[in-house]
Amino acid sequence: MFHHSKLSCIALAAICAAGPLAAEDWPSAPLHLYVGFPAGSSPDTIARLVAEPLADALGQPVVVENKPGAGGVIGVQQMLADKNDGLSFAVTINGPLTTAQRLVEDLSYDPATDIAPVALIATSPLVLGVTSDFPADTVAGFIEQATENPGDIAYGSVGHGSGAHLTAELFANEAGVELYHIPFQSYAEVTTSIIGHEIDGGFMAPSAAMPHVEAGKMKILGITSSAPFPSLPDVPVMAGQSSLPEDFRAELWNGFIAPSGTDPEIIERLNSEIVEILAMPEVADKLLAMGWQVQPGSTEAFATRIAEDTALWGAVIDGIEARQ
Amino acid sequence: MTTYEGLMHGLSVALHPSVLVYSLFGAILGTFVGVLPGIGAMAAITLLLPITYYVSSEAALVMLAGVYYGAQYGGAVASILLRLPGTPQSAVTTLDGYPMAQNGRAGLALFTSMISSFSGSMLGIIVLIFLAEWLSGVATKFGAADYAAMMIMGLVAASTVGSGRPAKNLAMVVLGLIIGVIGTDVNSGLQRFTFGRTELMDGVNLVALAMGLFGAAEVISNIRNTERSTPVARIPLRELLPSRAELKRLPAPILRGSTLGSFFGALPGTGSTISSFLSYALERRVSREPKKFGTGQIEGISGPEAANNSASISAFVPTLTLGIPGDPIMALMLGALVIHGVQPGPMMLESNPDMFWGLVASFAIGNLFLLFINLPLIGIWVNMLRIPFRWLYPAIIVFISMGVYSVRGSSFDIAMVAGIGIIGYALSRAKFSPALLLLGFVLGPLIETNLRRAMLISRGDPMVFIERPIACVFVVLTAALILWSLISAFRKSQ
Repeated sequence: MFHHSKLSCIALAAICAAGPLAAEDWPSAPLHLYVGFPAGSSPDTIARLVAEPLADALGQPVVVENKPGAGGVIGVQQMLADKNDGLSFAVTINGPLTTAQRLVEDLSYDPATDIAPVALIATSPLVLGVTSDFPADTVAGFIEQATENPGDIAYGSVGHGSGAHLTAELFANEAGVELYHIPFQSYAEVTTSIIGHEIDGGFMAPSAAMPHVEAGKMKILGITSSAPFPSLPDVPVMAGQSSLPEDFRAELWNGFIAPSGTDPEIIERLNSEIVEILAMPEVADKLLAMGWQVQPGSTEAFATRIAEDTALWGAVIDGIEARQ
Repeated sequence: MTTYEGLMHGLSVALHPSVLVYSLFGAILGTFVGVLPGIGAMAAITLLLPITYYVSSEAALVMLAGVYYGAQYGGAVASILLRLPGTPQSAVTTLDGYPMAQNGRAGLALFTSMISSFSGSMLGIIVLIFLAEWLSGVATKFGAADYAAMMIMGLVAASTVGSGRPAKNLAMVVLGLIIGVIGTDVNSGLQRFTFGRTELMDGVNLVALAMGLFGAAEVISNIRNTERSTPVARIPLRELLPSRAELKRLPAPILRGSTLGSFFGALPGTGSTISSFLSYALERRVSREPKKFGTGQIEGISGPEAANNSASISAFVPTLTLGIPGDPIMALMLGALVIHGVQPGPMMLESNPDMFWGLVASFAIGNLFLLFINLPLIGIWVNMLRIPFRWLYPAIIVFISMGVYSVRGSSFDIAMVAGIGIIGYALSRAKFSPALLLLGFVLGPLIETNLRRAMLISRGDPMVFIERPIACVFVVLTAALILWSLISAFRKSQ
């Protein structure tokens, strides 16, 4: 008996010595949640929607810090520059984890080794919006037009290498057509240009297109998610239409990440809290109203998603670079 | 709902006590953040945004809008008294406001700025009520080629803003254009002159540039100043008021400035900084004594101040009617609307008349209120000059640092202010005009992106600038402007 309790004492001491961040007394101080976009942007709103119930669940404040710039990259950099003490995290869109390593020189971090995925939060599809008098009403019709007039259809995106640009290039590759790219800086500029009949269309966030569709100044031909989107049930899915493959899918997402080296127990705890938060109807409803669908899932599933999208967009970027 | 019914309904929303209190609070807060150099409406709205989750959507938006137009009033105060523009939009006001204050007429300069701001806002509100639909139609007709042609005209017209030698002015505009090149190239995604710094990928921060050129540079040049503070005699309120002759000089520049401001504010992406520069250039052109500009002309204050205030009101036209924000602050306002479940866009007048007309009515009430609180405040602002420099300038450096940091939480930007401040000091010692550098910096990227986009859309055919009627008008006007300058220069030399 004596022997046994002595052993367990040693075992306990060993556990205690493993670090001050043993899961039971974590978190002992406020959490810092970096967001690479300004206040009021959709990644910021999503981060705040999660941060509030998360603070309640953990019993410590979760401080959202906006570090906007470079397409969200600065937010991730700031998280990594912060002391890696199990208290600094970030909510980020897909770009800084899946395409920044290809598009940003001197990125200063490697998404594959410096980032520990915690949980996917939500995904958003893009819709293909075109001018109200575009001579096609379906994705198949659009592909037909593009096949007959190669390179004539001008589409707008929110910049070189943006989700809107890469999605359009993926679409063109898969459908075997050629489209003409005009980069803009915001969806607002793209939609104005479509309404003004300067360009023919573009892939964009549903929330950017819907007000103009309702006013009859634009039409939507299809959506890039693999299943119909709950808030836009009537918009047909692109996958499988005309020459597009059955598994065609292009989505933007927001996820919760930590610096690699963060205690796995902390990551597991956060993942389970976030999955619970995403199950709350009021959180899911608010996200859906902004055009985002909650995607509760495991840490491993999120890591797989990052790897899949890195490969998917990497191949698209290869194609763009080969043509330059 | 007719316009009249809408307006009456809006007044009932805006005069509801809970909404009214938020509106007035926003307007006062806006004035104060406008006065503080570097801390602008952007920072204040960002900080207030999370709080608005807990109030009604009308109250929230009315408060945020109050901060936005209130800041336009405050921005001029430090420009006039200390040559430190509170916001980039009021940088032009330093040109004639500061000399006026130096001549002991600070009170008159502030009065002119307040009354012009108020008149500009009111004319902007009238435009918003009656011409919103027409203006939003115009905004969608403006293509890339039209924007490029218009901006080039603006650059040519405003390049004469400085009072120094033409070659020196041109050098400053070009330096501004070059600084505007820094950042990611939109067309190719390549980085230009960023030296591997991700902080420079989105370009040099406008607030950091403006605060470095004007604020930090001004502080540095005052280190040599041995006087403890500017001598200011106590001014009775009566003497703040302009004489009858001076009063008569106000309406014309206010009208011209408001017209310019309303138009440019309604075009997404142009905004109030450009309209205040153009208004100043216009006043100089139409004046019989252009040589006197830069020495304390009333027109040099009233035109630009009316222009930036009317632009801040008409900037709501594309935001509310098209869902297209014209500048980062409007993008923030749009975000706030969406958070509160209001989707701005062509359907907003029908789907959310409460919000639309409530905002419009609150603009009128808020501006009236701002005029009444700001006129008595002039005496207090003037007393700011009594503060000894050794207290005032360190405080200004702190405020500038806070303000620049608040834009995007970047300590890199504070270092930028310090560096730009030293350059700005050297430039002002050599009698270069920093306002022109700012103009080149604001217009350069707009001209470049629109010019290149127009050429992309036309597939490389430059005839697009002649074939599109709007672009053609601006090209002809630009040519006429250059010709006129050449002829008048030729006549003078004879």
